[in-house]
Amino acid sequence: MSATVPFRIPDQENGPLIHLEGIHKWFGNLHVLRGIDTQLNTGEVLVLIGPSGSGKSTLLRCTNLLEEPTLGHVWFEGKDITDIRTDLNDVRTHIGIVFQAFNLFPHKTAIQNITVALEKVLGIKPNEARDRAMEQLTRVGLPEKADAYPGQLSGGQQQRVAIARALAMRPKLMLFDEVTSALDPELVGEVLQVMRDLAQEGMTMMVVTHEMGFAREVGSRMLFMSDGVIMEEGDPREMFQNPQNERTKKFLSQIL
Amino acid sequence: MAAVGVEVSNPPDVRGPTAPLPAVTFGAGIAALALALGGSLALLAFGGVANAPLTSFCTSQGIVETGPIPITGARSICGIAEGLRSGTELMVLVAGLALGVFAVGTGFTMYSRMDTKRRRNEMLAGGVLGVQAVLLASFLLWFRQSGTLMIFVKNFLDFPIISGWWGTLLVGMKNTAMLAFGGEFGGIVIGLILALFTISKQRTVRAPARAYINFFRGTPLVWQLAFGYLGLATGLGLNLSPYATALIVFALNTGAYAAEVFRAGIQSIERGQLEAARGLGMSYLQSMRYAIVPQAIRRVIPPLMNEFVILIKDTSLVIVLGLTHSQWDLMTAGYNGYLNTYFASFFVITAIGYLAISLPLIRLVNSIEKRLRSGLVGVTA
Repeated sequence: MSATVPFRIPDQENGPLIHLEGIHKWFGNLHVLRGIDTQLNTGEVLVLIGPSGSGKSTLLRCTNLLEEPTLGHVWFEGKDITDIRTDLNDVRTHIGIVFQAFNLFPHKTAIQNITVALEKVLGIKPNEARDRAMEQLTRVGLPEKADAYPGQLSGGQQQRVAIARALAMRPKLMLFDEVTSALDPELVGEVLQVMRDLAQEGMTMMVVTHEMGFAREVGSRMLFMSDGVIMEEGDPREMFQNPQNERTKKFLSQIL
Repeated sequence: MAAVGVEVSNPPDVRGPTAPLPAVTFGAGIAALALALGGSLALLAFGGVANAPLTSFCTSQGIVETGPIPITGARSICGIAEGLRSGTELMVLVAGLALGVFAVGTGFTMYSRMDTKRRRNEMLAGGVLGVQAVLLASFLLWFRQSGTLMIFVKNFLDFPIISGWWGTLLVGMKNTAMLAFGGEFGGIVIGLILALFTISKQRTVRAPARAYINFFRGTPLVWQLAFGYLGLATGLGLNLSPYATALIVFALNTGAYAAEVFRAGIQSIERGQLEAARGLGMSYLQSMRYAIVPQAIRRVIPPLMNEFVILIKDTSLVIVLGLTHSQWDLMTAGYNGYLNTYFASFFVITAIGYLAISLPLIRLVNSIEKRLRSGLVGVTA
């Protein structure tokens, strides 16, 4: 809780896209994030790993203020979005998020899931929104499922629609919250492939995952979290090969 | 998860063949009930419309067309009563009773020994139908020779007495339907807004909504109607007819109940749905409007329609307001018919009128429920 020193406002042009400063989060009396400081530059793919309950997902959700940090600041493009006067709805149009449970709207078709926010939030005309949605559905390989309801799609297909839904907003940052954890094993690959392509195109991403192969291959930086703090941070390949922290070593030896 | 690309085929019929004994038992059960119920109703209906001259039994019971106290519809009453007392009816009932006893006897003693599902089901169905037929036939056998027969027929089954009232009753049905539909529509609008208030994080928004709901759920509807018209509309000199007041009160009252239904519906939607909507940059209200409420409404259609069926019958409480003739609802129309004639047939016809409005709705609710349960959520509405 070192929030006494006022933080230097980052340079909007060249500063980090996201800066998390002294993030603490309590759920009731449960102290799940205990002072997180990190930043994310444009084009980076930041991978968060760690045992369950370590606070990875909470940290991710603090990044677009779906969870409000109890203490600390989140800066997005040099703007303190934890400031109560921030228009969070506007900020969130620039930060896409994909969830473990897909969370598609079951009463809307795949394409309606995508167009609803384009039309109602961004104010894009229906025709144009449809084009934009189709573009994204094609990108995730599901143009023929545009008029299918989520209930008619497999888990992998639903998750790809959810990714397309987030991408259609043309976000500057994408958050992925254990997006393959609810999928049958044979469906994980298709979702990871979409994310891999996305990283290659230069999308800035923050990824909470248990897919270590994916983390190693796609991540440009990796955080290992445990008990609400960042235990170790570095290049994924190096961290997998030569972890420094005892907790990291133990965790990696258990899952690899 | 809905099946994707799974082949669809109907399952085979595995109930197996029937046999003479179960088929006979089943047939006996059906015949027994058909005789006791259908046969009796046919005889009553025939007697009611035959327009036969009055019998000595009828005149001895005071069913007369002339004299000091003539009875409207005397011939119809007499026909129905004589139909019940006739030898044909006795034969019908005895035959029904005998077949029923046979079906019960064979069905319940031997169903467990049947070796196919179809045989066992037929035995059981025959036995159950037999029980129903035996109970009904026994009751009618007792009733047709009891002293209350003529009083009952005269009071409840004198339909010619209603002849001058059909128009009034139809207008009553129309008014009942209008009060119910209008009240339900207003109630749904009020309820949805109140529901959104009750789930607000702001106590200042929640509290008044809760107070409203608790008040309207905690006081009798008949009090609300009386107070609304006599206390407020009349007392404060508002220029509101009883009919308009009733419509408003029904909407306000239904709103309180609908609010609780909607609240439950909204709260039943998974938290992730709101997060997904907010994550896309929608405001809280946009999330409600485009993501949460459309799903909630689909889920609450059955309980909401249930409230509606209750409201249809509750509109009868406007009887306390003293409506003008053209504004009478079905209950008031029927009640006034009764007061004019002292024949309870008006109550019978009133009940039939309410059923004519509510039964189709109940059917509709059931079919919607079935569709919601079996199909995709997206295909409805």
